[in-house]
Amino acid sequence: MNITTNQGTDSTVIVLEGRFDAHEAPHAASVFDSVLDEGQNNIDVSLADVQFIDSTALAQLVRVMKRCKEAGGQFSLLEPSDPVLVILELTALDKAFNIVDGQSAEQAA
Amino acid sequence: MKGYRHWSTVPLQERPKISVVIPAYNEEWRILPTIGAIAHEMAERDESFELIVSDDGSSDDTNKLVRELELPNLRLIESVNTGKGGAVRRGALAASGDYILFADADQSTPIQQFDALFAPLLDGSAQVAIGSRGADGAEVANKSLKRKILSQGLNTIVRVGFGIKQKDTQCGFKLFTREAALDLFGRQRIDGFSFDLELLFLANRQGYAVAEIPVEWIDAPGSTVDAAKVAIQFLKDLVSLRLRAMRGGYRHIIHQPADSSATTNQQLRSAA
Repeated sequence: MNITTNQGTDSTVIVLEGRFDAHEAPHAASVFDSVLDEGQNNIDVSLADVQFIDSTALAQLVRVMKRCKEAGGQFSLLEPSDPVLVILELTALDKAFNIVDGQSAEQAA
Repeated sequence: MKGYRHWSTVPLQERPKISVVIPAYNEEWRILPTIGAIAHEMAERDESFELIVSDDGSSDDTNKLVRELELPNLRLIESVNTGKGGAVRRGALAASGDYILFADADQSTPIQQFDALFAPLLDGSAQVAIGSRGADGAEVANKSLKRKILSQGLNTIVRVGFGIKQKDTQCGFKLFTREAALDLFGRQRIDGFSFDLELLFLANRQGYAVAEIPVEWIDAPGSTVDAAKVAIQFLKDLVSLRLRAMRGGYRHIIHQPADSSATTNQQLRSAA
């Protein structure tokens, strides 16, 4: 999985590409933690190019969301791909995360 | 997404073209993402499909999680614990599709590889297509050295001792025509992990063409398999397979297709 970090004006956007599973979770965790440790508490994770996400990876996202919120920041998932959106729905995590899809991003712009 | 929205809300009106069977034993941690990935991918195709989770006596919440999804074209088959072979067989014999795939619950072979297996069955060049990590072009990620040595050693025994030409018998991603599935699972006896080998042994014996297709395979962490223990059981199973074949134990179909034990979530709801 490729991980790219882009520093925006209001938030840090972390773009994930590939399969986000238990193998990739430790690497992703270290990237998330280094962003948080730098004091960036507003994090957006782009899942547009992730085709599969497993429970370990989902747990990782929940952990980062909690840390952002505890620090008074915000955490969003940007434009999850359709298969990832289905997985979020089946695990009922679509209700836990703030999800910004393509349409709402356009409306906000 | 349109395909999935339809599949997840409207019950099939006729027999599906494809059945996907997921054997599951204590998979509460992995089952939902796997169902999501398979359901989305298959629902976006043109062919109709049903999903069957064949539980193998899980002691965790696997069954509960699957049931609570209330998906109309997802069936849960419950059973006492018998081993993976039993779970796959119960799923395959309950399946109503023209083509029956079984796929491991950990998505170690991503469902996106389905088309590669489907092609030789569609053009009639094979009746069984198996995902292979040994075929030329296969990509294996994260496979441990122990597993590599073990699988190579077992493969040699299988090739030399049982005349099985396929390089990888154990990959949990195999597709059958309905006719081949009912014939092979009907005769098949092994309830444990060696059932894959028995299926291929029977496929060769019954004269079905088996296509071995290279697939991407990701060794999923948290795999619940003790490799050494499995290897010993595998060798025991090989001996009993050989003895059974010599004594004519595979001449008859002993397991009939059964859909009485399976209930759809739809039926569960109407019964409630």
